[in-house]
Amino acid sequence: MDFSLNETQQLIQDSAKDYVSTSCSRDILLKIDRNPVEIMGKHWKEMSEMGWTGMAIPEAYGGSGNSMTDVAVLFEELGMGPVPGPLFTSAVLSARILLEAGSEAQKKALLPGIAEGKRVFALAMTEARYGWAPENVHMKAKKEGADFVLSGTKLFVEDAEYATDLLVVAGIEGDQGLSLFHVDVKAKGVAIRPLKGFMVGMGEIVLDKVKVSGASVIGGAGQAAAPLDRAMLAAVPVLCAYKVGGCKRVYDMSLAYAGERKQFNTVIGRFPRVQDHLIYAVNALDSARWTTYEALWKLDTGMDAAASVHVAKSVASESYMTATDMAHEVHAGIGVLREYGLTLHTKMSRSLYHTLGSPSLHRKRLESALALTPA
Amino acid sequence: MDFAIEETAEQKAFRAEVRTFLEKNMPDGMEHHTDPVDQPREQYELRREFGRRLGKKGWLYPNFPKEYGGSDMTADNVMVLSEELAAVGSALPPYYDSGARMGAPTILVWGTEEHKKRFLPMFFRGDIRTWQLLSEPGAGSDLAGIKTTAIRDGDHYVVNGQKMWVGSAHGAEYSWTILVTDPKGERHKNLSWFMIPMNLPGITVQPMDVLATGGEGGAGGGCKNAVFFDNVRVPAENLVGGENNGWKVATTHLEVEHGGTGRLNDRRVIYEFIEFCKESHDGHRIADDPDARAQIAELYIEAEITRLWALRNHWLSHAHKQRTYEGPQYSLRRKLSSLDISERMLRIAGPYALTTDERWAPLKAAIEYFQRDAITSLHPGATTDIQKVIMARRMGTGGREREQAGKLK
Repeated sequence: MDFSLNETQQLIQDSAKDYVSTSCSRDILLKIDRNPVEIMGKHWKEMSEMGWTGMAIPEAYGGSGNSMTDVAVLFEELGMGPVPGPLFTSAVLSARILLEAGSEAQKKALLPGIAEGKRVFALAMTEARYGWAPENVHMKAKKEGADFVLSGTKLFVEDAEYATDLLVVAGIEGDQGLSLFHVDVKAKGVAIRPLKGFMVGMGEIVLDKVKVSGASVIGGAGQAAAPLDRAMLAAVPVLCAYKVGGCKRVYDMSLAYAGERKQFNTVIGRFPRVQDHLIYAVNALDSARWTTYEALWKLDTGMDAAASVHVAKSVASESYMTATDMAHEVHAGIGVLREYGLTLHTKMSRSLYHTLGSPSLHRKRLESALALTPA
Repeated sequence: MDFAIEETAEQKAFRAEVRTFLEKNMPDGMEHHTDPVDQPREQYELRREFGRRLGKKGWLYPNFPKEYGGSDMTADNVMVLSEELAAVGSALPPYYDSGARMGAPTILVWGTEEHKKRFLPMFFRGDIRTWQLLSEPGAGSDLAGIKTTAIRDGDHYVVNGQKMWVGSAHGAEYSWTILVTDPKGERHKNLSWFMIPMNLPGITVQPMDVLATGGEGGAGGGCKNAVFFDNVRVPAENLVGGENNGWKVATTHLEVEHGGTGRLNDRRVIYEFIEFCKESHDGHRIADDPDARAQIAELYIEAEITRLWALRNHWLSHAHKQRTYEGPQYSLRRKLSSLDISERMLRIAGPYALTTDERWAPLKAAIEYFQRDAITSLHPGATTDIQKVIMARRMGTGGREREQAGKLK
């Protein structure tokens, strides 16, 4: 039993902490918030140079083959920003999907580009009838000889606007099962539109008779559901760690503010009602933290992690939202002033709530993992 | 990070050793009673005998120093031992022993060498069973407001007053308590910590009829008592940690009581309930109902977070890491999540959760007991409100320096 970070993880944590505090100050993050594509300039270059784009990719494919816990330690620090951008979607989630589903040739062709940060992948799975279960995918590819033609809309796709490549999840007309189609964003018929609102990095992708060669089907046609599921199970706790970082940051901000702000001639942190908000925030943080890191430990040691992953995602999504809610209770007016920075987290907590499955979907999946569901 | 007991070859061997020991040393005829109130005297005596056998081996309080009768056992091995005991329906210690469980760490920190030699081996060998005596009729959450006095008279202190919500059924050989040694002294600086033999003249124990006995200790108690002191003469050498220094001394045992060390394997009923819902009973499988499944998933998540925080606290204390708010945080969660889980069980299982009937009660009425126990457990070791007060201090709210956790060795 050991709840501490090992030496490698401490080094990762130190360098990530250093990067977030020096290169991702509040003012810089607010600027990126107003113009999201800015993250793909100097920041993306720096993150790639530090090897972060290759951490979740084995050495054989140009990465550094770190454990998922190592990767999560990095993402917890990025979540403290919160530093936006496609690092998770491309270098963790998509890389993992390619690892689970791709042929050896496909892995060799695509993963080194992700590891270098030259290719940026996004996962185009969700549609207008939104949801992260396989049955929510209604798009069907049409077979044309050895090729396929994709038409339809993918909606609320994370980081679509930064992507160079897409992994489109769709069925095939007249066939069972799901397939993964590798699509170049520059291909004819691909239109990507970022979506505005109280959300971060989500986009709409319209595919209009996009031609995909048979060689661009990742793995076997109709065989994507199982590897996709395995890849999502492995990637989810890393996203949870990002939320843990978010919880930590808003709790720290709230504790500090409650120690300075005076009303009735008293610092407000002395008032039990205010303390309650802080207690709920730190409870949310620690619930998310330990469910997340246990799931990561199970993944890294090859144990059956399904139940733990579903618990972690369900808890982390709720916790990040609760922690920001509590932070707003503590901060009152100043908390909604955009330049203060808290709302970056508030928005992120909402935006990531459903990503890779809502808490209610994960609880449903937990029912199966616990063998509650009738056989 | 590593969330498992490392099953090294050495630990596997230890697990085997524990199993062999238990096979040979569990007294015959030990029966499991869902509600400790049903445990007759002979059963209690069997548990004490079992305790002495564990004590002889150094396994009754295994993480304590060898020189006083413990085993200096590693956190991982303690967990192996308590897992194996839980698997045979027992616990560590195998009977209610709140006084030693919380008193031993206190004496280790605050006692003189003489105190350690006198008291610790008695605890660790299982020779005595000890209760803690804290609350009084007028002092619950406001523990420092106790009124029972211990007035110095030669080489004795004379004790007068009343303690409440104490102990268990079947008596105890010793108690430890905090008493007012300076009635005119400043609050928090007027108390002292005592070890008191329960056979002294003038001590009366009166059982109280309570809903359940709450979640203290490794084993349930069976009942609570009021303890009356009428001119009880306690030898002065039984004062531990210095006269009028009792509040400071108490921070150590309160740290243990407030969950600072985490409790392992003590809520098996939750996981047994989930298995029960998956099985078919009288042609009916509870988990076939989608609403029940949803409730079970929620209940499982509640239980998992609590389990993980217990594990974290266990590691923090055994690896000697700095602790601040984690003890009361766990205690608060344990209380509230037990209540929440018990109510979900009621929603899921209906009146089956409420019956002790031999024909109909699931899991030997463990669910029914949990319904009562979860409510009763809201107050022992401080209410949820007090846990929040302590937590806030330890978090350093309001710009204060963060209060540190009570000292543990």
